[in-house]
Amino acid sequence: MALEEQSAPNPWGAYLDVNCKRCRLGDSVRMTPVLFHTDGAGFRYNYVWINGGWSNGNWETTLAKTGSYTTDTSYEFTPPHPGTYDLCVDIFPPDGVQFTVQRRLVVYEDLLSGKIDRTGIEDEEPVISVRDVSMIFNIASERYGSLKEYFIALMRNELTFKEFRALDGISFDVRRGEAFGLVGTNGSGKSTMLKIIAGVLDASEGVCDVKGTIAPLIELGAGFDLELTARENIYLNGSLLGYRKEFIDERFDDIVAFAELENFLDMPLKNYSSGMVARIAFAIATITEPDILIVDETLSVGDFLFQRKCERRIQELIASNNVTVLLVSHSIDLVERICDRVCWIEKGEQRMLGDALEVCEAYKALQ
Amino acid sequence: MESSEIALGESQAISARDAWYPSRLRDIFILRQLVSKDFKLKYRRSVLGVAWSVLNPLLMMLVMAAVFSHFMRTNDPSIGNYPLYLILGNTAFSLMNDATNNGMRSIIDAASLLKKVKINRYVFPVQKVLFGVVNYAFSLVAIALVMLFFRVPITPYALLLPVAIALLALFCIGLSLFLSAASVFFRDVIHLWSVVITAWTYATPLFYTVSILPDWMVRLENFNPMYHYITFIRDVMLWQTLPSMTTVLGCVVSAAISLAIGTYVFKKFERKFILYI
Repeated sequence: MALEEQSAPNPWGAYLDVNCKRCRLGDSVRMTPVLFHTDGAGFRYNYVWINGGWSNGNWETTLAKTGSYTTDTSYEFTPPHPGTYDLCVDIFPPDGVQFTVQRRLVVYEDLLSGKIDRTGIEDEEPVISVRDVSMIFNIASERYGSLKEYFIALMRNELTFKEFRALDGISFDVRRGEAFGLVGTNGSGKSTMLKIIAGVLDASEGVCDVKGTIAPLIELGAGFDLELTARENIYLNGSLLGYRKEFIDERFDDIVAFAELENFLDMPLKNYSSGMVARIAFAIATITEPDILIVDETLSVGDFLFQRKCERRIQELIASNNVTVLLVSHSIDLVERICDRVCWIEKGEQRMLGDALEVCEAYKALQ
Repeated sequence: MESSEIALGESQAISARDAWYPSRLRDIFILRQLVSKDFKLKYRRSVLGVAWSVLNPLLMMLVMAAVFSHFMRTNDPSIGNYPLYLILGNTAFSLMNDATNNGMRSIIDAASLLKKVKINRYVFPVQKVLFGVVNYAFSLVAIALVMLFFRVPITPYALLLPVAIALLALFCIGLSLFLSAASVFFRDVIHLWSVVITAWTYATPLFYTVSILPDWMVRLENFNPMYHYITFIRDVMLWQTLPSMTTVLGCVVSAAISLAIGTYVFKKFERKFILYI
């Protein structure tokens, strides 16, 4: 929660409560400033929403509308456009200095499930629990690709290693149903973290505890064989993810329909574009309801229509409140739109952990 | 939960949350899918397709029989039907050759997958051996054709053939596990192995009999696992006798040692694979 954003002074521990953090176009949004240690008598307010900055012209304040501060303790409005909204309330105590509380809100054009109710997510059990994880690689100062070189070095006692910390003391919890993002510049250790969570790499130090099934998106060249047809690849890939054969049989048509492959089912995959392969990968990974869905850059090869479709499917899974989505992307907008919380890893160190909008804001400031 | 059900349309028998196999069954399904993948790939776009699995050992046998027939018959008349002698040895040896060669590369080839998905790593070398066994099953057709052509009778002893193949497969699994692990760390193992295989081909009585070997070589053959496997197979298929105790023991012990070393090395180092592939 964005509790830290108020401007001083804030003698009442006030914060802005909004009935949803993300909503669909057409939903109404209610802002309620919450105050402690006061009954609120004599307080007056100015409610403000801004869509995409003042200069954009998409903003409204109750002060400008009615010409005076209001005594209403909450305010409801319907966002006219999709996008990011800054919601602010200027609070005027009867005998004090004015202060402001604010929140961010994202409004989607279409969101199948409507408002995503995130209440209670804080109480869910963690499905991924990362405790002080470090990953140390021993980089041989020279690379020994052959036995001969290796033994010569061994004999001469020249086997030296440089220690490289790819991750250093990372800690976070991801709760069931949460959408969690990992951001960071290239080579900062995101992929290493993802490998540790996926269970293919063991952390050098610390504990990474993961509960439940994991469905990663398998990219071109990994679980796919170019010579095989799409049909054969769906079964191959499904088996590698551990799906039951009967399950694949049953959902085969759904997978094909989602990936929009109806006419190309029996064509070898080598005739497909990489975007089409990404579609199959996404369709296979998301046809189930895994406990954890790992979404990484592979998504970005699809065209914008498919990307939107994928995003919607991810939203659906998030909305089910059963699926934990782990998103790694360079598209900071996507992370901002989808994730609840974000961990920013920079050069192997945990730079920031918290609310998606806050962390993304800070991350963007880096550039 | 509800929303995804709606999105997927009609209600389905298996819910999206129960889509997974328990771990044992998962490996079996993966093995089956991978073997069928290899099989499809091997014969895709070839006109004769599976027939090659039969033709290949037959052609090999024809060439070798033409070259060595006369030489061998004068040296050791007890050899029996020489073409059958050849094909039985060649097919068994090439099972080992294919299985270990493919198994050795299997971990390196699955690199991109192993970096992403948590799969029991042993399935890859094991799968290559199973694929070798499937191919061997096809070459049995070639063997049957040869027996039919030369009117070599088939006897109940032939029922022991699956035992020999199973032991040989276990032997190959052990070897493949060891080689796949070793080749991850040192790629030269791949080159080295091709030299070993060539030497092994000549060291094994594939086209000659042990009777033409000097004494010290005959004693050494007892330490050649392939000699035991091939003798076992020839005993039950060509000479129609029960394999000797030494032969059976040789087969079992080789398989056991190979499996023990293979699994030990593989288990010990498999966690480090990802750092080297």
